[in-house]
Amino acid sequence: MTNLEKLNNIFCEMFSVNVEELQADFDREHVANWDSVHQVGLSSTIEDEFDIMLDPEDIIALTSYEGAKSVLAKYDIEL
Amino acid sequence: MFLNIDQKPKDKVAVIDDSATELTYGDLCRYADEFREVLPSRTLVFLLAENRIGSLIGYTSLLNNHVVPLIISSATERTLFDNLYATYRPEYLWLPVEKVAEYAANEPIYTAQGYALVRTGYPQAQLYDDLSLLLPTSGSTGSPKLVRHSYRNIEANAENVMNLFGITPSERALASLPMHYTMGLSVIASHLYAGATVLLCGKSLLDAGFWKMLRDREATSITGVPYSYELLAKLRFFRMDLPHLTTITQGGGKLTEELWRQIVDYCQSRGKRFIATYGQSECTARMAYLPAHLAATKIGSIGIAEPGGQLSIVNNDNIETFEGEDTGEMVYRGENVTLGYANSCDDLMLGDVNHGVMHTGDLTRRDADGCYYIIGRLKRFLKIFGLRIGLDEVENIIRTNYDTDCYCSGTDEKLIVKVTNPVVADSIPTLIEDKTHLFHQRVEVMVVDKILRNEAGKVINQ
Repeated sequence: MTNLEKLNNIFCEMFSVNVEELQADFDREHVANWDSVHQVGLSSTIEDEFDIMLDPEDIIALTSYEGAKSVLAKYDIEL
Repeated sequence: MFLNIDQKPKDKVAVIDDSATELTYGDLCRYADEFREVLPSRTLVFLLAENRIGSLIGYTSLLNNHVVPLIISSATERTLFDNLYATYRPEYLWLPVEKVAEYAANEPIYTAQGYALVRTGYPQAQLYDDLSLLLPTSGSTGSPKLVRHSYRNIEANAENVMNLFGITPSERALASLPMHYTMGLSVIASHLYAGATVLLCGKSLLDAGFWKMLRDREATSITGVPYSYELLAKLRFFRMDLPHLTTITQGGGKLTEELWRQIVDYCQSRGKRFIATYGQSECTARMAYLPAHLAATKIGSIGIAEPGGQLSIVNNDNIETFEGEDTGEMVYRGENVTLGYANSCDDLMLGDVNHGVMHTGDLTRRDADGCYYIIGRLKRFLKIFGLRIGLDEVENIIRTNYDTDCYCSGTDEKLIVKVTNPVVADSIPTLIEDKTHLFHQRVEVMVVDKILRNEAGKVINQ
């Protein structure tokens, strides 16, 4: 599985959506159930799946699908 | 005036929200007067709450003017809102301006601070004279069951909580728990009563806006549920130097022992107070607290009754005891014990059925020093992420939406749903998340052949 597929799976599982829905506007403003529980769940799963330890500001920055990609880039994870 | 707001210095800042809007105590008085002009008579209003100033002036003005609000989240799921609306028939809505078109057919008759007052078309409500405020019993499962508060309940809670924490006018409390949640409201009421400043924050702990407010506004206290502290730990809160923060308080369920120790260590090394509290919406939020100097030795305890209240235990021999070691259902007495429940519009005419005594439904142990510990629960609900999940209500939601028998149980970590129809099993977690906002990964579904019941219809062997 590629890193992108891993990330997509995490999002699909977390928000109960299909991969087609993961577009540029998949963010806290547009996803109704994107609350702190989902966000921290997202951060924990990303940490486990990619074996990294996110900084607090990265967890706070996890407010969109694109944001998650940027956070991964910061940890040199190529998508 | 309500909470003696008019007796505070007129130019003192009463509330600042996360859009940097500020109101003084004088402004709160002025809004109450404006409300009285447009809404002069006693009636029922649904207040669709958000942690913003517009929401708060609805609360202070309506209570001051003896108009009764039902405070619910502005994010209440629509069918649950419709159920409440049809059940209680409010004459007005006080809601964010941007939601008017979605919820109301009429034009607003008054707007202030991004909120609007709209007539619904329902007639003036018939209300018991001493009824002040209504709150849902469960934050989210949307049962139409409400808690009925008296005017004295609100003041007694504000006064007791002010005394419990020693709140002075120089406090700046970060109020980030939702206003529609009894403890969130208690933070607001107690600080206004004390003439302090409320930092009303609608941002989640995972939003940079929360941290900006905490630091830039030099918050002196924060109040959270166990889940708040799980998040704070994750965000390395316990390594932060926040010199203005003096008090950390917690309620809304039990902290893990590990997290409790982390908070105590943090507070001890930085010269802050940690005060754990216990309460129920049936008793206007707070009922018990563990004094800060006991936090390191009485781990996990809810402590003693708050000032103005009394705790006791009804033990297995059905004897009520007030001191010494004992175990049994905890009972609370005090002026903050609410009037009772409402299940229908007619119930809004009911008087006080509790008479100042609340059987809490919590099983407790009292140690030789008089400190109480929660060890179990008699009532059918869970508290997950600070959300109160009524099991009967979740069962109703499932039965209404699917053709299956079901039974709910669980812990404060996980809701367990047993269903008899395997076809619907996979869709249950998403349904529950949609209706109650409980994170679907905290729902475990099990398919069973049959839910066993006794002759009275009560579920057995679960």
